[in-house]
Amino acid sequence: MNNKEIVIKVEDLAISFATDHGRLHAVRGVSFELYRGEVLAIVGESGSGKSVSAKTIMGILPRNGRIEKGSIMYEGEDLTRISEEDFHRLRGKKIGMIFQDPLSSLNPIMKVGRQLTEAIIINADKVKQKYNDLISPQLIALNNRRVQDEILISEKENDVIDFIFNARQEMSAIRKNTALSKEEKKAAINKVRAGIKAKRAEKRAFVKSIHADSKPIIKALALELVAAKKAAKIETLKFKKDLTDKRDAELSALTAKLKATSDAEERKAIEAQIEKVKTEYINNVRITRAEAKKQALKVMEEVGIPQPARRFRQYPFEFSGGMRQRIVIAIALIQNPDVLICDEPTTALDVTIQAQILELINRLKRERNLSVIFITHDLGVVANMADRVAVMYAGKIVEYGLVNELFYDPRHPYTWALLSSIPDVDSRERLEAIPGTPPNMVYPPKGDAFAPRSRYAMAIDFKEEPPYFKVSETHYAKTWLLDPRAPKAEMPNIVASRIKNSLKKGGKKDE
Amino acid sequence: MSKQVEKVVETTDVKPTPAPEKLRGAPIPVKKEGVTYRQDLVDKDVILRVSHLKQFFTSGSGQNKFRNKAVHDISFDVKKGEVFGLVGESGCGKTTTGRSIIRLYNVTSGSVYFKGHRINAGTRWNEKEIKWKTLNAKNDIKKLTKQMKDEIKDVQNEERENLESVVANIRANYQEKINAVKQELDAIVKEQKARIKQIKYDLKHLNPEVMTKMQMIFQDPSDSLNPRMTVEDIIQEGLQIQGLKDKAENSKKVVEVLEKVGLIADYASRYPHEFSGGQRQRIGIARALIMNPELMIADEPISALDVSIRAQIINLLNDLREEYGLTILFIAHDLSVVKYFCDRIAVMYYGEIVELTTSEELFKHPLHPYTKALLSAIPKPDPLSEKSRQRLIYNPFTDHDYREEKPTLQEIVPGHFVLANSAEIEKYNKEIAAIDKKANKAKVSE
Repeated sequence: MNNKEIVIKVEDLAISFATDHGRLHAVRGVSFELYRGEVLAIVGESGSGKSVSAKTIMGILPRNGRIEKGSIMYEGEDLTRISEEDFHRLRGKKIGMIFQDPLSSLNPIMKVGRQLTEAIIINADKVKQKYNDLISPQLIALNNRRVQDEILISEKENDVIDFIFNARQEMSAIRKNTALSKEEKKAAINKVRAGIKAKRAEKRAFVKSIHADSKPIIKALALELVAAKKAAKIETLKFKKDLTDKRDAELSALTAKLKATSDAEERKAIEAQIEKVKTEYINNVRITRAEAKKQALKVMEEVGIPQPARRFRQYPFEFSGGMRQRIVIAIALIQNPDVLICDEPTTALDVTIQAQILELINRLKRERNLSVIFITHDLGVVANMADRVAVMYAGKIVEYGLVNELFYDPRHPYTWALLSSIPDVDSRERLEAIPGTPPNMVYPPKGDAFAPRSRYAMAIDFKEEPPYFKVSETHYAKTWLLDPRAPKAEMPNIVASRIKNSLKKGGKKDE
Repeated sequence: MSKQVEKVVETTDVKPTPAPEKLRGAPIPVKKEGVTYRQDLVDKDVILRVSHLKQFFTSGSGQNKFRNKAVHDISFDVKKGEVFGLVGESGCGKTTTGRSIIRLYNVTSGSVYFKGHRINAGTRWNEKEIKWKTLNAKNDIKKLTKQMKDEIKDVQNEERENLESVVANIRANYQEKINAVKQELDAIVKEQKARIKQIKYDLKHLNPEVMTKMQMIFQDPSDSLNPRMTVEDIIQEGLQIQGLKDKAENSKKVVEVLEKVGLIADYASRYPHEFSGGQRQRIGIARALIMNPELMIADEPISALDVSIRAQIINLLNDLREEYGLTILFIAHDLSVVKYFCDRIAVMYYGEIVELTTSEELFKHPLHPYTKALLSAIPKPDPLSEKSRQRLIYNPFTDHDYREEKPTLQEIVPGHFVLANSAEIEKYNKEIAAIDKKANKAKVSE
């Protein structure tokens, strides 16, 4: 597992939203890696923060959302720190996304064909693309350096804020202290104040030193970028000039030929050649609408839409639910992304259509070697799709592991509860519903967030948050039940018997 | 007439429906004087009978007129106290069936009987019957007249003796035949007209109290609750419509019913947006429950909910069913939930019932290819079996050969109905035998 290439690495990500009722902590420290060519499923109830994490990767967080801390590393860049402009380089081209409801993610008054080719036509200028590609390494290096400084400074600032907060509390304690005389109080307060002053000065000095340290580096990087821009400009101009020169030379030769002959047939042939030279030039400089359409039709065929040429001219309402979702997938794939994020792609669909769409995503993943983040609340779908699974609850990953480990050896009470609440085709026992509702994330619970709904909760669950306990090399769970001091807890019977049955059916022995 | 009755016998597993001439049973007393309701159902266990229900929707006009046959001739009975599941993909008419039963639509043809009352019916079939029978009769008469004329001509050409008497004889002969056709037609028209009249009469004199015994839970809990009304207003609206205007009394009932569905009394003064999806669905259930229904139509009550909340709602429905002796018509597209919850299941495909049986039997012996396709599409929380799963694809044009014989809903094993023709029935019988053999072998080896 470890020798696999990491595509996306999310570390300690925390996101909150400003709402009328206060700050809503949707994601509270999530870390995971996505390896190349695998499917990572994120499972959880609505409101557990799974969609928010995915939206952050795409850089489409709503305006009231804020990234509190953490990083998302993709190709040497931190996606939480880059600007909207920089996201244009990635969104669609490197990372594609499929949304939940195909009806609301398509524009109802725009023909499907235009929606498919929209992205290609926006990025049609090949010369500009070349320029952007040429300067991107220098740009990323400069951005990363700036981000690094910002992180250091913000850490220091947080430090100072904490210090001042503590100092103020100390001061109020001194003021309330009746044992001290007036002079003594004054002296003590002055001392604290001096401390704050010193801390602030220290911070200023720190920031100054950082700026001083990094100024020459940043300057050098900026100069490098300028140089790169200059070089890129020259190169692209040359590239364009070469093409133009080639075209002009060919055209002039052909026109001379045309003037020389009077034979009608020959003239026709030469005219055709002239046309060909012109279109060749255009194709080298930009992607034309016809070219974009050709690409779109190819992708439409790939995702299994019959009669793509006819469908290209239709509106979304003329498609059935499954076909609409195929269109959405085609839009996501048209620019050949490496990473595909599927945000509950089958929740709005029927069982039979769901099976078709899942098969399609599986096939595309194999053919294009995509890395997929698959978000869902349906564990049945997960079992079909995923290589690895992360279970989220209240903004945290509570358990993650390989799909077989998670389904046949679940450790967290929440995973047990999820597994036991699914009606099974083979049994008719009473379902064990999870009592209550997910916590209100404006006031995130202390300790283990699932404890109030869990019947395995212990006293410590309400006080302290459990760390990740290692079950195996690839399987971790965040529950105090795995602590050696914890009493032994067995998973619910319904889950245990189901696991036993399916292992037996699968021809594997229960270990 | 006889055709319709026969079909009912074929398609349902209760005792045959008697013809209207033989209606029996005690009349149910009602408010209005001079009007009596006749008990149509012999079997007291059958609370809801749907017979030959057709629901068409028309759109466009002139050349663009399009008739969407959402439900096309389905019949089933729901017994008292059972949970009856209607399964199928979206667009197969399962929701339309539910809505037709509760009179949200005026049905095109066929009847819906609830507790012995015809609560919804359409006359299209009867009207068409009159129309086509009249046309046929006219054609027959025309043919007969032509024959007669030809014959008379032949006779006249022969120039026989006592020609007049022969012609008169022929005329009388044919007149008799024509009269017979006319009489037959008159009988049919009369009967159909009487039925149309009966349907119109029944629908006009519908007992509203009976209708309150049937309630519906809708799919989307946020769309089906009025955002401007408090929970209390929403829940007691039905009582007010029924003329129970005592506010104190109604509030008491609201609190009672809220506690039944697992909410607290304080919630009565809040608005729907303050609740989560599961709680909203509970409010929807409370609204249905306050009328003391006997039949609950649950139209995909859990498909808009989260997995963990789904189990809560299913358990709640199960508890209520036991407590109140409710009969539930459960409409869903997820066979695993239906299997868990329902006693009998009808699988629908494009407006027709393709298979109808008990849930155990359906999972043990799935026969119709569409049922098999549905079963193979259920995702299971089991990676080993999932990764090796073979999904079956149903294509109605290649899976069946109906060129020679049209399919009908036939009983293959007692209580197990499947839409098939005689060739397929044979095939299915073999399949059942094979499955049983395999199961026996497995038992023996264990």
